[in-house]
Amino acid sequence: MTPLMLSFLALVGITCGSALVMLWTKNILHAALAMFMTMLGLAGLYVLAYVDVMAVSHLMIYVGGVLILILFGIMLTNQNSRGDKDQNNLVTEESSRVWPVLIGLAIFAGLVFILSRGNFGGVEIADPNSKLSFVGISLLTEYAMPFELVGIYLLIALIGSTYIAKHHD
Amino acid sequence: MINEIPLVLFLWAGACLFAIGFSMLILKRNAIFVLMGIELMLNAANLNLIAFSRQDTANQGLLLGIFVLVVGVCEMAVALALVIQAYRQFQHIDLGRFKSRN
Repeated sequence: MTPLMLSFLALVGITCGSALVMLWTKNILHAALAMFMTMLGLAGLYVLAYVDVMAVSHLMIYVGGVLILILFGIMLTNQNSRGDKDQNNLVTEESSRVWPVLIGLAIFAGLVFILSRGNFGGVEIADPNSKLSFVGISLLTEYAMPFELVGIYLLIALIGSTYIAKHHD
Repeated sequence: MINEIPLVLFLWAGACLFAIGFSMLILKRNAIFVLMGIELMLNAANLNLIAFSRQDTANQGLLLGIFVLVVGVCEMAVALALVIQAYRQFQHIDLGRFKSRN
């Protein structure tokens, strides 16, 4: 048990445990908090895979952007129909728990079975140096076209979502 | 320098996240919960890309992962706009109660 392995196990525990909390809870605010912990754990896993750029951008985008967007969505669609109104008791409906959990377990078991049997080959050439300059140079030379395309895609998506969300009277 | 964490452990963590995300997708009836499940599945795929990128001198998985991040953000923005518009129409976002208008 090396310290690297121990930290990996702790981060996987945080990630998968928070995801299980998201699955288990019915309170949507608790689920948003658990999603925050999941994203933190995932960023830690990226750090352990030696991709610091991905970890930082993942934290910025998910914790700073997507989670805030989800919280706005929760607030704008708050129904107040169930539970006490003076608490953050945003309990939501869900279907029967048995079948979804069984299907999830089956998918997990099948994936673990397949991935354990697979021989991926290749050698680990993970270098612990920062990938920041590599990513910057690649995005502006070899991947310049996809980079511009994804920028246009982002612009289209943002304009489209603004148009969809406005009042259509 | 050899990384001491084997590849298959990253893949197992990704499989766990994917299974949990899929369970959320079919368990929850609130639309925002379902979106969170989709985000989990997307992040599981991204973790696999990053894990395989460790074995690649060209680091293609890392760059594809960055593009996946952008696509995930776009999907989230459009989907939340749709959810808000559906809430305005029907006063609820319970996926089990939507009826098609024939």
